[in-house]
Amino acid sequence: MASRRRMLLKVIILGDSGVGKTSLMNQYVNRKFSNQYKATIGADFLTKEVQFQDRLFTMQIWDTAGQERFQSLGVAFYRGADCCVLVYDVNVMKSFESLGNWREEFLIQASPSDPENFPFVVLGNKVDVDGGNGRVVSKKKAKAWCASKGNIPYYETSAKEGTNVEAAFQCIATNALKNEPEEETYFPETIDVTGEGRQHRSSGCEC
Amino acid sequence: MSSDSSCLSFSDEEVQNPNIHSIDHSLDAIEDQLSSIAFNSSIDEETPSVANNHHEPVTNGSNNEIQTEMRRNSFGESNNNASVADDIQEHRNNSSSGGELLDSVQSQRVPGKRHIHEDDASMSWRERKKHFFVLSNSGKPILSRYGDEHKLAGFSATLQAIVSFVEDGGDHIKLVRARKHQVVFLVKKPIYLVCISCTEEPYESLRGQLELLYGQIILILTKSVNKCFEKNSKFDMTPLLGGTDLVLSSLFHSFSWNPATFLHAYTCLPLPYATRQIAGAVLQDVAESGVLFAMLMCKYKVVSLVGAQKAVLHPDDILLLANFVMSSESLRTSESFSPICLPRYNPMAFLLAYIYYFDNDTYLVLLTSSSDSFFHLKDCRILIEKVLAKSNVLSEVQRSLSEGGMRVENLPSYPSTRSESLLHLNESRPATVPQDRLHESVSSIGGPAGLWHFIYRNMSLDQYVSSEFSSPITTHRQQKRLYRAYQKLYASMHDQGTGPHKTQFKKDDDYVLLCWVTQDFELYAAFDPLANKGLAIRICNRVCQWVKDVENEIFLVAGTPFTW
Repeated sequence: MASRRRMLLKVIILGDSGVGKTSLMNQYVNRKFSNQYKATIGADFLTKEVQFQDRLFTMQIWDTAGQERFQSLGVAFYRGADCCVLVYDVNVMKSFESLGNWREEFLIQASPSDPENFPFVVLGNKVDVDGGNGRVVSKKKAKAWCASKGNIPYYETSAKEGTNVEAAFQCIATNALKNEPEEETYFPETIDVTGEGRQHRSSGCEC
Repeated sequence: MSSDSSCLSFSDEEVQNPNIHSIDHSLDAIEDQLSSIAFNSSIDEETPSVANNHHEPVTNGSNNEIQTEMRRNSFGESNNNASVADDIQEHRNNSSSGGELLDSVQSQRVPGKRHIHEDDASMSWRERKKHFFVLSNSGKPILSRYGDEHKLAGFSATLQAIVSFVEDGGDHIKLVRARKHQVVFLVKKPIYLVCISCTEEPYESLRGQLELLYGQIILILTKSVNKCFEKNSKFDMTPLLGGTDLVLSSLFHSFSWNPATFLHAYTCLPLPYATRQIAGAVLQDVAESGVLFAMLMCKYKVVSLVGAQKAVLHPDDILLLANFVMSSESLRTSESFSPICLPRYNPMAFLLAYIYYFDNDTYLVLLTSSSDSFFHLKDCRILIEKVLAKSNVLSEVQRSLSEGGMRVENLPSYPSTRSESLLHLNESRPATVPQDRLHESVSSIGGPAGLWHFIYRNMSLDQYVSSEFSSPITTHRQQKRLYRAYQKLYASMHDQGTGPHKTQFKKDDDYVLLCWVTQDFELYAAFDPLANKGLAIRICNRVCQWVKDVENEIFLVAGTPFTW
């Protein structure tokens, strides 16, 4: 019964500035792409309703700014995330090298209950650029890195052409759902007024 | 209450508009009305006490977002394409016609959550005059007064980002003004509550409403819900609030008609002193047998209430409990035993409430901490019911309900030759005449000297009495406007920056409002806008005298078992 209710998944997108986080999100949610670069300031939020595995859920996508000056908001932004998407540009080595830092930073700030198994997805974006000629990070290298971090799923995407975007987000949803915690029964305490004052014990009393 | 009445008199320096403590920094715009909140200017603290924490305007933003039709909310600096705020028309608030009184007003409302298909992209959603949101500190929506929470996920995230942004600067956000809109924040970690309103209600009032909303949630769940967030920051609280739409919508509605929501006092059903004594005595008997609080209520009004030992019931708890009971349909049909938390008594844990309706309007609530006392409480109820029936308390309650309480038309002149019983006064009128016909028969409008309405709050008893609405304050719209005027008056009298004040005389297009605050009581009176000041002051003195004369009937007074 509990599994029938609508779920909300908070998805954080991280990566160096200019790797195409906002474009990926826009391609996924709006199926639109703009060549013009506009830096995200602070954060952008998009929502998308997804029907998946016979369930309806809402993806709340947090597209954060890549610039350093917004990093102090990390704790607040990462809290309660269901999945974290790490994005790099296959044509820029530095953006790939930063992935480790972004991952570390996320785990520190969000401090999820089970960091080992927290769902990440890595996206190598901009595979369309120059027909792939400008590419500096090989698929093999990226996959090796993902494998070393606990088999993070890896996708090569083009936000411009929409390549693999849908598949990547499907995977994000799957992983976020897999991590769904067990429903617990809500069982707060009942007031015990036997002694003086208000103690909180679950036993009843005759007063 | 001292018997010699202090007299209200004004010297010529009257307090007109004493506070107008305005927030001059304003957020220039909540861009694109509500859907996309952008930080453009500075946020200022409402309370001057936190003086050194001003936010510097963030102005280096030059980008505007990619325009899309999708729900997109952004947080950060951005250019502001102003204009929008003024385009929003205030057209909601449709009052229906007719000279109905308060009770009938409530029945016109369609209860429950409405407009669930709206989201922040809908024009209709943006035009709503007052929004309430509850979200978790991870930015996940918990509830929204209007619209679909999930579709508002981006909007919730924006609100969370604003709170976080300010906290990141070592500060706390309380209020953002954006033209006609006020965005009021209440942070109760891990829960954030936000009200966005263009109703021109004072900040203090809106904040008070958020506090009550939080209290209502605590009443349903207790503060133990915080532990769920501690254990799992992804925690989704929404399912725990399942089925409470009616309770919350009824609370939102009460913010525009129930004076208890800003006075933080409760009101009693007018009853003969002896009748209330009988009810109090039988509740007292029950309280001595292991009941923490015993309350006999008629709708939102108290018939009698008793607390065991030194247990004290806060007026806000009475309000929230009454709202919960009144708006939960299932409680009407059978006796119930339900966990309930009284946020002002102990927000951490549940009590158990035995709830039973004697008739459509009158119900009994017995609160206990023992989860196996259902059958004992049932026996208590049977005993109470027997006593109430035998001594005609329930029929007296019904009679009072249909006859109403204090009417401005009945304000006695002093020295009075009339009987000092309020109920006797009302008795002289045929009880069967419908209220609206009764008004038509009154040739002059309202009471003497243009008195239209009053609220009297007894400070030591934490109780208030409000006169019945009579001509010309007959429609829902008029009553709501008067309610808002009182609310504003209350806030200005209690303003922490400039107040508290003792008296206020205020004249506008709608009313002459007179407020008088002493240690013992507060009086709020509304007169015809053309009312004469000297006369109005004299009338206020008469109202106070009248209230004192009938206080045994309109208040639960000391001498009844429930003392503070």
